[in-house]
Parts: sequence; structure tokens; C-alpha cells
Amino acid sequence: MGAIEGILTGFEVALSLEGILFVLLGVFVGTFIGMLPGLGPISAIAIMIPITYGMNPTLALVMMAGVYYGAVFGGSTSSILLNAPGISGTVASSFDGYPMAQNGQAGKALAIAAISSFIGGSISVILLMAFAPMLSSVAISFGPPAYFALMLLGLTAIASLSEGSTVKALISAVIGFMVATIGIDPQTGTARYTFGSTNLLDGIDFLIIALGLFAIAEVGYLIINRHKKSITDAKQLGSLKLSKQDMKEIAGPSGRQSILGFVLGILPGAGATIASFISYISEKRLSKNPETFGKGAVKGLAAPEASNNAATSGSFVPLLSLGIPGSGTTAVMLGAFLVLGVQPGPMLMGDNPEIFWGIIASMYIGNVFLLILNLPLIPYIARVLTVPRPLLISLVVVFSLIGVYAISFSTFDLYLLLAFGVIGFLMRMFAFPAPPFILAFILGGMMEQSFRQAMTSSNGDISVFFTNNISLVLIILSVLSFAFPIIKSMRQNKKEA
Amino acid sequence: MLNNVNRKIGLILFLISAGYLLMSYQLPTYPYIPVDADAIPITLGWILLVLSVALFFSEDKDTEEQKAKRHIPKKDVKAIAGVFVLALIFITLLEVVGFFIMTALFIFSSSKFLGYENNLVNAIVSVCFPLILYSIFVFLLNINLPQGVMPF
Repeated sequence: MGAIEGILTGFEVALSLEGILFVLLGVFVGTFIGMLPGLGPISAIAIMIPITYGMNPTLALVMMAGVYYGAVFGGSTSSILLNAPGISGTVASSFDGYPMAQNGQAGKALAIAAISSFIGGSISVILLMAFAPMLSSVAISFGPPAYFALMLLGLTAIASLSEGSTVKALISAVIGFMVATIGIDPQTGTARYTFGSTNLLDGIDFLIIALGLFAIAEVGYLIINRHKKSITDAKQLGSLKLSKQDMKEIAGPSGRQSILGFVLGILPGAGATIASFISYISEKRLSKNPETFGKGAVKGLAAPEASNNAATSGSFVPLLSLGIPGSGTTAVMLGAFLVLGVQPGPMLMGDNPEIFWGIIASMYIGNVFLLILNLPLIPYIARVLTVPRPLLISLVVVFSLIGVYAISFSTFDLYLLLAFGVIGFLMRMFAFPAPPFILAFILGGMMEQSFRQAMTSSNGDISVFFTNNISLVLIILSVLSFAFPIIKSMRQNKKEA
Repeated sequence: MLNNVNRKIGLILFLISAGYLLMSYQLPTYPYIPVDADAIPITLGWILLVLSVALFFSEDKDTEEQKAKRHIPKKDVKAIAGVFVLALIFITLLEVVGFFIMTALFIFSSSKFLGYENNLVNAIVSVCFPLILYSIFVFLLNINLPQGVMPF
């Protein structure tokens, strides 16, 4: 199927009545969950997976993509209104968004966020349409050695996903990989670490890990902060109207930062967080009035907002075309694909063009929905922030428990979910980042299989990874991508010392 | 010796990796398989062992904010433990009593326990939420949830 034909198929899916409905639902629910303090896109996607059981995979994935970028947008709302970013990707939005809200311009700040997000989303989806098929056609010739090297490149994201100590991020990843080894080994049939329990023979479902480490662990911190004040009156928002001057100010940063955000989104581990910070800093450097940044500058809000949305689309490039996630969120998204029986990667474009192109086309529509849904509905949607926390906590717990129960019908998995909730809570308490864990859990299993397949095909000769050009290049890239952030942080530490 | 938090965690992780390695070496191996089922686990076990030693000797570089996260007031610990126990009761009785009753009871009691005072709203949410969720799963998605003692 050619690109034009593919795009048309995609729009056929996205513009069907069902397609429109599911995009709308995804965007709305994503915004809603993303807005809740503490719950970001990872939790939003994980919570929504059970809803997709039995659904048409194309529509389900179109909806999940909507949940993803809806949640990124929703996260900005809590950043702006409460200075409580749901995810690290919207932290930079609070730098100027929150001061604006404090000055009685919350409505304006939300409108700027909506418009810049729209620009970021729209520009990046055009880029996604160009890059994803290109990468797919290259990756189609990959054998097990190249796949192993590709997964390795995906895993190097861990080095950049560590916000504090690299050792802690690596420990988190190794334990995630270890958990992936539980269950029957598909090549030899050996039961590994099942302790004689039949419940563990199939391994641990990724949803248990995702909901446990993110949603349930977050519940612990929601309980601690249950008495925190939330906005109680939507009238405090102020006007949503933007002046011509505002629009002029938004245009430049949104355009520039969309492209930068997209490029950073493609890189493993970079994602929305790094993209939004780099965009904020670069826009501040470009600005004639850098002193206004941090005090409610329009550009200071538009730049990270356009960038984090563009990075979201960027992160779909490796996911759709190579089948490897570059971040915790896309790892969970990959899990959603697998739950629905769809394997993303180079074959997706040929085998399931309606899914590949449907998701991309739905993003155009989703971005328009985000804009028209959010601008007039912001004051109403913002009321979600007034949901009393004790009630919210109970609902999140129930939703997570039922989500897991609906895939396994086993209470054993529910106990496991609570156990991973405790692990996730302790990890957060002691500053062990959870995204490397889930990334390694998802990639680890696949990586082990490709490694062993490659070794079997070469009769145990490890040089198979270095004689294949693609895998050699990917291994070199992996080493660079892994070492660069570590060397950088070591240099920084030296400077500080 | 264990005055620093990294040392305590490092030691725990060292013991975990030692246990994991012990189990990995006991995994059965087969002839003519270049990379057997125990190869990756053994490698992972050794990597964790090395990393736990690295953590043991590394400085605690956490920010003040991060350090503050470690100190949870006693009353919050009790609140977290309370919700945890309620969730355990929910799981244990879910298949016996049924989804609807257990969910309604869980939402009401956990919200009340966490300090939500408005009993009327709490009761409405506790009844409506499981009802909607049950309808979505059972009637829309054809996924059966435990009905327990309820007739439907």
C-alpha cells in the first residue's frame, strides 16, 4: 500500500462515526485523568486498557492514542491551575503558566496552552506521517541480531530517564528485567522463579506492573496529600480570550518548538520532559525580554506546551515503525498494543495498515477535538480538580483492581498488584525512578528472545552482532546513547564539586 | 556502617541479588542450546550484585525535596496502611460476596476512613460507580465480573 493510499485508509478509519467517537472519548478521558493531580499519561493509558478488552483493535488504539495526548494536555491544566504537574513533561508549563494563573489570568493561560498544544500536535503529526513509514521500510529487513541491537538502543533510554542517580535508574531497570524473566521460558520450557505456583507460569502481566508501579503507588502519595487544597471555584479562571498580540507571541515559539519537540520525542529516553525544558530554555535565550520568563510570559508557556505535545507524536515514530518504546509512557502504550493482539513494528504498516495509518490520521482529528473541546469546556473540565481526594483515591484503587481482574479473573493477580503498588511506593520514596523498570520489563523479555534466536542461528557465535552492519551501527549508537548522559552528568558533578 | 540510606538499600539489594543468583544457578540446562534459560538471569543477577555494591558506596545525592518524601507522618502511614487493609479485604471477599457489594462497600468505607464527611454524596458515588462499571463490563464488553450473592 502506498503512502497516499495509506493516508486515505487512515482517514477512512478516523473519520468514520465510530472513529470520531472513540477519538473524542479518548481525548476527553485523557484530559480528564491527566488533569487529576499525580495521574499522568502512564496511569491514564494503564487505567484505560481494561476498557478496550474485546474492542476492535484499530478503534481501541485510536482511542488510546487520544488518551495519551489528551493526558499530556490535561497535565498542563493542573500545572497551570495548581502548580501541581501530573507528569514531569508539564513541569516547564508551570514556570509561566502558574504565575499567570496567580495574576488572575488562568483562563488566558489555559487558552495559550490549548492553542500551542494544538500547533505542536498538528505540526508534529505531519512530521510523524513522513518519518514513521520511512523508518518502517528500513526496519522491515531486520533479523534477530538487528532486533536485539534495536532493543538495546531502546534500553539505553534508561540512562537519560534517571532524574537523579544513574545507579538507581540502572538498578530499577535490572529489577524490571528480572521480573520479566518470571514464568515459562518460551525456548526451553523451563519454569523460572515460579516457586511452584501455576499462577506465575505465564509470567506477570504488564498491566499489573503498570498499574501497580504508577496508579497504586501514586495512591500512597495522594493519601499523604489528601488534605491539600484544590481550586474550589471555576470562576477564578478569568477570561479565556487572547489578544492579537498574544496570538503573535504564540506563533513563533509554537512553530519552532514543535519541530524541536518532535525531534527530541523520537530519541530514546528524551521524550516530553526533556523536550519541554529544552524548548523553554531555548525560547528564553531567543527572547528579547528574558527577564519576563518565570513571571507569566506568554512565550514561556507556549514553548513547552507546543514542545511536549510534539514530543508525544515524536515518540510514536519508534513505537509504530520499530516496535520499541523510548519512554515509560510508550512502553505502556506498547503494552496496550500487545493486549489487543497487535504487534507494532515494521510489519504493522503492511499487515495492519488501517491501524498504522488510522492512529496517525486520528491524531489530526484528535488535535482539533482537543482544541474545540478544551477551549469552551475548560471551566467545566477544571471542576475535576474539585473532586474530593478521599473519593478520588478510592475510585483509582477500585478502577485499578477491576482493570487487572478483568484480564485474568484471578485474585492472585490482585494481590500481586498491591505488592507492586507497595514496591512502586517504596521506589518513589527512595528516589528509584519507575519508568526504567517498566521499560526494561517490556523490552527485556523481547530482548532476551532476539538475543537467543540470534545466537541459535549463529551456533553460539557472538560475532553475529558485529558482522551484521545494521546491528553493528545500532550497538555503536546504543553505547553512545548510554554513555553520553552518564558522562555529561559526571562532568556536571565535577563542576559542581 | 549503615548510617546512610543508600547503604541500607544497597545491602538489601545485595541480599536479593545473591538469592536471585542462587536460584538462577539452579535452573536446569540442556545440551546443544547456545544460550540456555539460565544465561540472562545469571547475567542480571551479577549486574544487580555489582550495582548494589556501587549503591552501597555511593553518596546520598538526593535533593531536600526527595529526602522530605521519605519522612511520612505517623498518621499518614496509618491512613495508607488502612486503605491497604481495606483493599486486601476487598480482594479476599470479591469472588465470595460479589463485585457490586464489595466495590460499594470499599468506596464508601475507604472514602470515609480518609476523612470524607459528606455521607450522602459518598453513598451516591459508592452505589453509582460500581453500577456503571458493572454495566460497562458485563453488558457492553461481555466481561463477567463476580456476581457473588447478588442475583445479577
